[in-house]
Amino acid sequence: MQKITPLVKMVDIEKNFGAVQALKKVNVEVQPGEILGLLGDNGAGKSTLIKILAGVFPPDAGEIFFEGKQVNFLSPKDARASGIETVHQALSLVNVMSISRNFFLGREPTKKIGPVNLLDRKKMDEECKKAVTGLGVRVRSPHEFVSILSGGERQAISIGRAMHFKVKLLILDEPLTALSVRETKEVLRQVEKAKESGVSVIFITHNVYHVYPVAERFVMLDKGIKIGEVYKKDASPEDIIEIIATGKMPQELKS
Amino acid sequence: MKEVSDNLKTETKGQVLSFSQIRRWPEFGVIIAFIILLTIFSIFSSKFLTLRNITGILTIVSELGIMAIGIAFLMIAGEFDLSVSSVYALSGFLFVTLANKFNSPLAFIITLALAAFIGFCNGIITLRSRIPSFIATLGMMLFLRGTLLAVTGGESVSYKADAIMPSLLTRYIGYGFRPSHIWFLALTLIFSMVLTNTRYGNWVFATGGNKEVARAMGVNVNKVKIINFMLSSLMASLSGCIVISRFNLANASFGTGMELEAIASAVIGGTFLTGGYGTIIGVFFGAFLMGMMRTGLVMMGAPAYWYQAFVGAILIIAATINLKLRRLEM
Repeated sequence: MQKITPLVKMVDIEKNFGAVQALKKVNVEVQPGEILGLLGDNGAGKSTLIKILAGVFPPDAGEIFFEGKQVNFLSPKDARASGIETVHQALSLVNVMSISRNFFLGREPTKKIGPVNLLDRKKMDEECKKAVTGLGVRVRSPHEFVSILSGGERQAISIGRAMHFKVKLLILDEPLTALSVRETKEVLRQVEKAKESGVSVIFITHNVYHVYPVAERFVMLDKGIKIGEVYKKDASPEDIIEIIATGKMPQELKS
Repeated sequence: MKEVSDNLKTETKGQVLSFSQIRRWPEFGVIIAFIILLTIFSIFSSKFLTLRNITGILTIVSELGIMAIGIAFLMIAGEFDLSVSSVYALSGFLFVTLANKFNSPLAFIITLALAAFIGFCNGIITLRSRIPSFIATLGMMLFLRGTLLAVTGGESVSYKADAIMPSLLTRYIGYGFRPSHIWFLALTLIFSMVLTNTRYGNWVFATGGNKEVARAMGVNVNKVKIINFMLSSLMASLSGCIVISRFNLANASFGTGMELEAIASAVIGGTFLTGGYGTIIGVFFGAFLMGMMRTGLVMMGAPAYWYQAFVGAILIIAATINLKLRRLEM
């Protein structure tokens, strides 16, 4: 079999916060078009790991390769420019801004009028409305404030925004927390749709049942150490819970 | 899908002129208040709606309003600036002193540059020390005012230089109008345009609305804040130069307490104290309301002291109404 370059390769990542070692030599790879479940209890280092990948802060040691090339993201802007986008329940949309302003935040289209670049608000509204309606979110107008939307609608808009801007890697940080059953289904459908269009997804959660239906591979973290890595075909959700609970891989799954 | 978008179309069409649509203008509250007060003052004082009185109000409003626009722009980005009144006094004093020594255009440029530097310091102090800007700029306000009083010893200086900048800033241009009125109007339009129709404006909203989100979306929030601190200071400085050119006299105690009037104008105009929301047109009317009350109350025969009491009452009512209106939206 021909070896494919992984989309993301994080090698020996380390991160300390004061005396606390949040990550100890963590290695993670994501293949193109793959959904990876990143699992672990609270404080396992999942968020720290993806924040490093998203450029929120740099690692203390280790290397990151994106599409085969070594990268050094200094800010979320850098990571975003490379095609990495994080969807975080609390950190993706500004409540007191309209949907269309949120949709294009940081990537606003402009048109030149005389010597100045002004926002192309018509384009913003139209494209946003089209994209949002396509996601099945019913909003009266793109001028509505985000604060009136439900958790599921916000999540849908965040994911839809990432898709609209053709990201290569979508990082979902606990995307299903506090969502209703129907909204959960809707978000999972979108994740699969993202995968079908060739986007890689890192799905972070502490609940294996959230990610098991959609992911192909799982990486488990505990106290900053990668304790295991399994393919879906090799492990049931119960096996994965066992790994997280005991902190080690059972003999028969080690390969 | 087609059906959905059709539904969407009819729904938007149906509510084009509904009350909810009008209410969504963020300036709605302040404009209503403006009209009510204008009516009351016109009824109770026959001289209120005269060109002379209106231009007189405009003069006061422009000086306060220019400062208020700067403050509001910064407040929308989620920070405060209490040092504006001290920057205002310092700028006036520096402008007069330098103009007397050299010439007024040079004095004006140096004064603005110093104000921008003070704003820059406000920003750096707030961001680096991580203390709230309310405290950082309160410190700056006391520091600048104290220094100014100590250095000048409370003495006034009068303006004895050329007429270039005073003519450009505030000397009469006919029918009681002054250039400062044009400055105020132009700056209102420019700032309003920047806020609602540029990428930078979107970043200002996002920075004030939720700075973690803004940062995650690639907005350089620290840069936005520092620029807005500088703008706030610059606007206060411009306002100070205008006032001093009108009085031909600078004193270290000028503008004491004016920062609160400017903040009140911004809040009456619909700006959120918590950041992330506000409009410059609202601030324009907010400042107008303040100026109108000042002269209107006097013309109705009330002692001038009532002005402050009225401002206090209006501020509380306006802030409450604005919050209620927003609750309906969000």
